Amino acid sequence: MTATKSAKSIISRALFKRVSIAPLIIFRIIFGALLLYGSVRFVSKGWVKSLYIDPEFYFGYLGFEWVHTLPGNWMYLPFILMILSALLIILGLGYRVAAFTFFISFTYVELLDKSNYLNHYYFVSLMSFLLIFLPANRDFSLDVLLKPGIKQKTTAAWTIGILKFQLAVVYIFAGLAKINYDWLIRAEPLKTWLHAHHARPFVGDILRNEVTAYIFSWFGCFYDLFIVFFLMMRKTRMLAYLAVIIFHITTWLLFPIGVFPWVMIFSTLIFFSEGFHQKILFRLKKVFGSKEKKRPKVIKHKKQFLPKGLKTGLITTYVLIQLLVPLRYVLYSGNLYWNEEGFRFSWRVMLMHKEGHAVFYMKDRKTGRTSEINNANYLTRTQEDQMATQPDMILQYARFLANEFDGKTLHYGDHKFKIENPAIHAEIYVSLNGRPSKLFVDKRHDLTQKKYNLYHRDWIEPYHDK
Amino acid sequence: MKLYTSVSYTVLIAIFLGILFNSCKKEEEEPQEEFDKNTMAANMSANIIVPSINEFDNNLSQLESNLMAFKADVSQQNLDLLRNSWKQAYITWQTVKIFDFGPIRNIGMKGAIATYPIDTTDIQNNISSGSYSLSTAANLDAIGLPALDYLLYRKGALDSLQNNPNCVNYVEDVINKMLSESNTVKSEWSSYQSTFNESTGTSSTSAFSYFINEFNRDFELAKTAKVGIPLGKQSLDVPLPEYIEARYSGISLELLEASLIALRKVYNGDSFSGGSAGVGLDDYLVHLERSTLDNTIDSNFEEMINKAQSFSLTFEEALDTNVSGLNELYLMLQSQVVYIKTDMTSAFGVLITYQDNDGD
Repeated sequence: MTATKSAKSIISRALFKRVSIAPLIIFRIIFGALLLYGSVRFVSKGWVKSLYIDPEFYFGYLGFEWVHTLPGNWMYLPFILMILSALLIILGLGYRVAAFTFFISFTYVELLDKSNYLNHYYFVSLMSFLLIFLPANRDFSLDVLLKPGIKQKTTAAWTIGILKFQLAVVYIFAGLAKINYDWLIRAEPLKTWLHAHHARPFVGDILRNEVTAYIFSWFGCFYDLFIVFFLMMRKTRMLAYLAVIIFHITTWLLFPIGVFPWVMIFSTLIFFSEGFHQKILFRLKKVFGSKEKKRPKVIKHKKQFLPKGLKTGLITTYVLIQLLVPLRYVLYSGNLYWNEEGFRFSWRVMLMHKEGHAVFYMKDRKTGRTSEINNANYLTRTQEDQMATQPDMILQYARFLANEFDGKTLHYGDHKFKIENPAIHAEIYVSLNGRPSKLFVDKRHDLTQKKYNLYHRDWIEPYHDK
Repeated sequence: MKLYTSVSYTVLIAIFLGILFNSCKKEEEEPQEEFDKNTMAANMSANIIVPSINEFDNNLSQLESNLMAFKADVSQQNLDLLRNSWKQAYITWQTVKIFDFGPIRNIGMKGAIATYPIDTTDIQNNISSGSYSLSTAANLDAIGLPALDYLLYRKGALDSLQNNPNCVNYVEDVINKMLSESNTVKSEWSSYQSTFNESTGTSSTSAFSYFINEFNRDFELAKTAKVGIPLGKQSLDVPLPEYIEARYSGISLELLEASLIALRKVYNGDSFSGGSAGVGLDDYLVHLERSTLDNTIDSNFEEMINKAQSFSLTFEEALDTNVSGLNELYLMLQSQVVYIKTDMTSAFGVLITYQDNDGD
């Protein structure tokens, strides 16, 4: 009894210990700026149109199929909201509402189509979710300017700890995922990806060398596994941060990974000391000429919104979810990379190179005749590429096709076919990490008869590696 | 103390890297298959792309001058000459159309030159009204080489060309439109060539990625549009002869053969004008130690080209009498798609998509 009690109080003390709020304030500004940059970049690349207006069909997430796109150019609305709320987050104006708005609009867009799933989008979703609950506007913000009473010099330790935890989860799970045969022993997919850069001046010959692929693979694994610990220790912090910069800039130079390196380079600043953040905050305040007003009467420990016990419970729940979700793959039999069951939301970053070719067939049950489907009629090229290697998307597409043809009357030449409840078959070949392609889905399965759920999909051809 | 630690860290890392790079240098001294994407790109552009574009331009000039000769002296003989130069241009186009990126993509040439099936009603309406703008989207299926297939080969073609001045004018306008496009592309490639040779990165927007993507797409087009659709593969096994390419002249299978030969030349890096073999996709695969794949792709090409050549009938006749032969051909094309689109592309580490995205 006493042991659990004291453990409880240790946890409670660790979570609610008062620490300087400076790291949180700096993080708000930095992360807000990243969100702003990312949103503006997305719009300016024309992706709103090509990813969320043009497609005819969207691959929703299981359980979230009710999330639909807005009609036509209304799809720009969530992006405008993202840009505005990111600005407000930076300024710290109407902060909580802004953080909430950003989280909702961003997550809404992400839920529309899993062909666009990226680990770092998931990361942004989680971080913006966390920001809603953190008092990151309690200093150096317009909110404080308007309402000096809310200013805080300190904050509960968990508000900063949870951000560090989230970053640690990303890195460490990414590192654990790299401990696999292809990554460490074959140095794939890096060998293929680096070799493709062999025509670059100066570095080309180094990049095409196999040894480089092995160094990158092993170093990458080591880096992901341990960087957080090196960042946490004061002694190794500077060197570790140098490694962060070099690592992410290298990936940025070599791979098409957009804003992600910058997100990580800037987010990891949260690991720096209170003093470091206080210094920055002090300089910022000086630049903006905001004088430390003669100690506005800080209302000491206002009534807490939630009791500590409940808070502890909620934080623990979040932490547990983050630890368990990436591990859910153990519940599935078969090769994780082949079947991709329990693959998403697990920080499996840059881990494989999969290429597939999928031919779908619509079979009229009455006449037994089949038609090959031209995927380009229904999917964008990105969607088609993503679908061809991911079982759940294959099934979703098959169901969409069945629905599309059901009840249709097709006229070909003098023939007329009234299609009812057609069967959908697919023949799919996939190449994983540079291996010769193999049959992924056999034509014998009628995919309309297969259930779309989280259970293991036995209609995927088993993976045999020689 | 702090300085000491970081210095020793740095030294350790430096030694580690030093050892690794030293050992890799030794490895490199072994004779290795020399390969370079830039060399390949240079070979492609200098010996295949630019020569085929120039040749296409010449073919069209020849077509135009044959039309002038025909206009001056309307005769079956001159019509035959006109048809021959049309056919030559159509054959050359089978190479040019693979390169649907850069200058060709910019002006939408692939659609403008060879969209089929054509809409004969549109063509006839244009001719009878005598006023039209050929560059509208609505007229995309009333122009290009397929429109000439209809106008030069339909029943009573000579008659119409002889007696209807609007008809000859239309032919002339169609040819001139193609000529101006081939001129544009020809001159733009002279400056784009160096870009193409240098842009060998892996991002989806590099010229090399476009090239590989279009190579795949063109092969798939040969499979689907030239064989699959008319064979009824997308229409519940009901053959659709109206979708046969160049149906009026009946040269569809010759065009298929030319298209496959062109794709094989690009794959092997063989020069357009015949003869010399240069650095091609095959060499890249061999360099990546994928010679088995190379051999498969190679023998598949051989097999399907032989198959295409084996038909003594037109496609339309074969639809009536030799469907099984066409089905066999189709299967050959289909299996090749998997090898080039899946195996070859993943070996090259190219992103097989146009969407520039935030990867992770």
